[in-house]
Amino acid sequence: MVTLASRNIGASIPRLEAREKVTGRADYVHHLRLPGMLHGKIFRSTLPHARIKSIDTSAAAAVEGVYRVVTIDDIRTVIPHPYYGPAFHDQPVLADGKVRFAGEPVAVVLAQDRHVAEVAAGLITAEYEELPYVEDEVEALRGEVMVHDELRPAHTFADLKYLQGRKGTNVALDYKLRRGDVAAGFAKADRIFEHTFRAQPVMHTPMEPFVSIADVADGRVTLHTASQGPSFVRIEIARLLGWPENRVRVKVPYLGGGFGGKLYIKLEALVTALSLLVERPVKISLTMEEQFFMVTRHACTFNIKSGVMNDGRIVARHCEVIWNGGAYADIGPRVTQKAGFTSAGPYDIENVAIESYAVYTNRPPAGALRGFGAPQTAWAYECHMDMIAEELGLDKVEFRRINLLREGRPQASGTPMKDAALDKALEHVADRLNWSAPFDRGSGCIRRGRGLAIGFKGITSPTTSVAVVNLFGDGSCALYIGTVDMGQGSDTVMAQIAAEVLDIGAASIRVIHSDTDVTPYDMGTLGSRSTFHMGTAVRLAAEDAKRKIEALAAELGLPPRSNAPLSELFKRKYGMQAGNIIGTATFIPDYQKPDADGQSTKATPFWGVGAAGAEVEIDMETGQLTILRLINVADVGTALNPRLVRAQLSGAAIMQLGFTTTEHMVFRDGQLTNGSLADYKIPSLLDMPREFISEWVESRQDSGPFGAKGAGESTTIALSPAIGNAIADAIGVHITDLPLTPEKIFRAIRQAAGAPLPGE
Amino acid sequence: MRSFDLIEPRKLDDIFDLLTDGEEPVRPMGGGTALMLMMKANLFAPARLVSLRHLGPPFVGLSFDPESSVMRIGALTTFSQLEHSADIAAHLPVVTQTMRTLANVRVRNVASVGGNLAHADPHLDLPPVWLALDADVMLVSRNGERIVPVEEIFAGYYETTIADGELVAELRVPVKAGWRSTYVKITTRAAHDWPALGLTISVSGGPARIDDLRLVLSAALDRPTRLREAEAVLRERALDDDVLREAGDAAVAEVDIESDSRGSSAYKQELLRVHLRRGLVSLLGAA
Amino acid sequence: MTVPRLIRFVLNGRPVSAQVMPHETVVEMLTQQFDLRGARESCGQGLCGCCTVHLNGKPVSGCLQLAALIDGGRIDTVEGLEKGRQLDPVQQAFIDAGAFQCGFCTPGFIMMTKSLLAEHPDPSDDEIRHYLTGNLCRCSAYPEIIEAVRLAARRTAQAPLAMAGGAA
Repeated sequence: MVTLASRNIGASIPRLEAREKVTGRADYVHHLRLPGMLHGKIFRSTLPHARIKSIDTSAAAAVEGVYRVVTIDDIRTVIPHPYYGPAFHDQPVLADGKVRFAGEPVAVVLAQDRHVAEVAAGLITAEYEELPYVEDEVEALRGEVMVHDELRPAHTFADLKYLQGRKGTNVALDYKLRRGDVAAGFAKADRIFEHTFRAQPVMHTPMEPFVSIADVADGRVTLHTASQGPSFVRIEIARLLGWPENRVRVKVPYLGGGFGGKLYIKLEALVTALSLLVERPVKISLTMEEQFFMVTRHACTFNIKSGVMNDGRIVARHCEVIWNGGAYADIGPRVTQKAGFTSAGPYDIENVAIESYAVYTNRPPAGALRGFGAPQTAWAYECHMDMIAEELGLDKVEFRRINLLREGRPQASGTPMKDAALDKALEHVADRLNWSAPFDRGSGCIRRGRGLAIGFKGITSPTTSVAVVNLFGDGSCALYIGTVDMGQGSDTVMAQIAAEVLDIGAASIRVIHSDTDVTPYDMGTLGSRSTFHMGTAVRLAAEDAKRKIEALAAELGLPPRSNAPLSELFKRKYGMQAGNIIGTATFIPDYQKPDADGQSTKATPFWGVGAAGAEVEIDMETGQLTILRLINVADVGTALNPRLVRAQLSGAAIMQLGFTTTEHMVFRDGQLTNGSLADYKIPSLLDMPREFISEWVESRQDSGPFGAKGAGESTTIALSPAIGNAIADAIGVHITDLPLTPEKIFRAIRQAAGAPLPGE
Repeated sequence: MRSFDLIEPRKLDDIFDLLTDGEEPVRPMGGGTALMLMMKANLFAPARLVSLRHLGPPFVGLSFDPESSVMRIGALTTFSQLEHSADIAAHLPVVTQTMRTLANVRVRNVASVGGNLAHADPHLDLPPVWLALDADVMLVSRNGERIVPVEEIFAGYYETTIADGELVAELRVPVKAGWRSTYVKITTRAAHDWPALGLTISVSGGPARIDDLRLVLSAALDRPTRLREAEAVLRERALDDDVLREAGDAAVAEVDIESDSRGSSAYKQELLRVHLRRGLVSLLGAA
Repeated sequence: MTVPRLIRFVLNGRPVSAQVMPHETVVEMLTQQFDLRGARESCGQGLCGCCTVHLNGKPVSGCLQLAALIDGGRIDTVEGLEKGRQLDPVQQAFIDAGAFQCGFCTPGFIMMTKSLLAEHPDPSDDEIRHYLTGNLCRCSAYPEIIEAVRLAARRTAQAPLAMAGGAA
């Protein structure tokens, strides 16, 4: 724990942009307007899988005020190969001969007035030849209906360079991990346990819906886009256009929420193509309803089998994880790998076999969402742990203690555990639940239960961050980074890191927002990587600047450590207030590519760790769930800004609470039935648990900046199984499918009582 | 959203002309919240909207007439006005109670009682309460007034028996001495949501003898519906476990509850039994 | 025939006029004609509160309010809260409690909190939750928001003039 000898590290400095946000003046692409700009309204497929026979845009084009109506044939005149994606170039800018999910963009109407564009889009008609479709991931894995005829790997990212996809199947990626010999493990085990768990599709629903503007002029394009990954946008747009990167400029102000959704290419390719066609700025701003067709979270079926000794040691575990990737891969293959390699849980198991499949289906594409697959896998392995403990008559905390990965031990990938405070997190949550004290189980029709869970995640690797620290003639400082502040407070924390090195106040630093003409490369603001990766780059860049200041002082003949202000040094050197000191650094952590068995000594630069505990009350006559206490515990290393860290832990947990109890994208016959906030219910103030605690354990990430590591996703991981386990403790039955609704709980109660409720 | 003519007449006669003139869809508008949602979702594209906001009594006004013991509520009364009305709190406290979880503060500031009734979305909270309170609706048209029990207004999903050219002008709610009421709103997704089931219970008497009652089921059917069979079981009986069970059976048997995104029909039937029992016990006192 | 009409109203204390189409909403008018971006359309259904403005002193959903019908009325937005360089106590409380993350929903919450405290100067947690349940924050800064409302309530109880808009 860093003691507060520093004014910057461990200080709850208010957000640098606080005033802008409370006065409504903060910049978002949402309200940006450019002169001459046209609005685009998307016309979408109404079928989950079909060949497009014809598209009739004539009525739309005839509407007064419509500038142009565009389909894929028009797109091809400016982008000859209009397919994109971070893993596979499988997603067309507009549907190309086929639609693969209901809601897929087929055409766009351009008009100066948004209402005109919308009315005209409603007049487009398309004729389709319906094709068989597949929605379920298990069916898609094993079955006959193919979503894609051919797969084109992207080769953009280092960790996805070797993708091929399995020909003649819907498998975009199959990931394997082998450690030891599971068959032998199962053979020697005293008991075998096998369960299947399912997680549902959900959506990020950021309050600022997806929005992008492209402005093509003079052979260059400027994109104003709500994106967490401007560098990737630049690379991919440049690739699509066949232009050098330096003719593509991507600017990102603040994001009105991201949560992983605003990544890779979303609307950027489409608006770029449109702007190229009409030679005017083009903006597409989605409605909340349309967001459900942009990107979602992977639904998942997880078959988990464990071989356990009577003394509680788990000696073998087999994980088969099937991810519902939707119609286009997006970053699904990486989810499949990254959540795949930790899907056996934070446990020290000698024999592990994992198969993790990214599968195509005729649903909206699934991509990155806070947790990146770890929550879905923890839902399975942590409920499974409780079910095993119950069968063996073991205390649930003790069973975990017996098997938990300890410092230095190899994880299933072979990478040793380092600076992952799993044991502390487990003990902390057990302590907060008063686990060893007797528990009031309720009376009458109210049953009470408690449960806990612990999980972890590996971090996407290898990834690169570059930072620039610029000191001006008067000594004031600007920080140029591609990390996007989407509410997590990265501007503030990065300023704190630089300020600590330069020994200035963090609030005095201006953090320059993403503008790829100006800010250097960053892989992306995602997967809890920024504090560690960009934070290290910022620290190194500030140290580089500091060395340059010292060199300048030496050059001017000043004794070392004379600490003359930089403005003084500049005056001496240039005769006036002039000049810059620019410190720069690039950081990429060590990484070792896993072998064919998924083994590597460096699969991740650090581990994300999260534990959760819940006390719940169930009304046995209705299944209604009341969460009395919800405890979220993470290992964040050093909390660089405690207030911001707590906000991350708490915010991530409440979001995951929604994914656990109230959120569910419901499909019928390939159609989404509840794509609006009226029917897709995210948590409000009234959904908050009565007691809600978010804390971190004392720990240090030695390789992180000032001992810190990421915190954005940690409390998503174990929350669902903690609640599931608490409910099971109350009603005596484990529910294996998310979300945990009152009806599901009630049906489970009735099933267990031998009086099942009819129908579904 | 397509554009439309927006007209704000100040005289009732002008409104009648506007409502029935021409062939294109014309709609009267109170607060407009429900209408705006339908227009934005492209479910409804009127050629003309006629705002009623400048009308006077009987459309505006909220008063209790002690002689007839009737609360008169003008159709343009906003939910917020109901929520903050001392008269309503004193004489129809179930309405004040219902306001607490109805939509949100912003909607309540704008939505009108008349517009809410005319919208006929079966999930709405207030129409079943009016029904349980035996309210009457005064409708006006070029031909004069007619007064109908509120039950006769509901015809199905977004369907009413209000004729073209007719407007809801006023709600008349009898204040019956000795009656107590409650509205039970069951949500099954987020805490704040459209109800899976709404149950309005109005009773007079006590646990030893239920003199009279009204039971209204809402949200689980296409219109707010009196549970007359269940009422018959309970009327003039003492409250005990047997009669409650019998009433629950009767309630479930007399309606055809639909499954939807908020619950299957079997589950809603269970909810109906449980909340009917609990609601009656809480209103009347333990058996 | 759908024609624009001229409306006159008071916007953040200033008399203004605007030409609005019948189907134009208050949020559209404020962003496109007055460059006020605090009220934002997000859910489009009046459920999230990002578009909250005060109409004749009461909070309404700007995305569901036809601009033409506010003729003769008064609109107050978050931009009108600051007096000179002095933040409104509610704004300051949101900063001090750290009651926002991405900030997109924040003006809506602030405008609702102003109304809440005008109606309930010392609200219980239950009153706060019920009043603000129609405002959604996906970053889920709910615990901090409740804290901010409590903080603002305490401070305005100590200095009631600040709420009335006078210099504090």
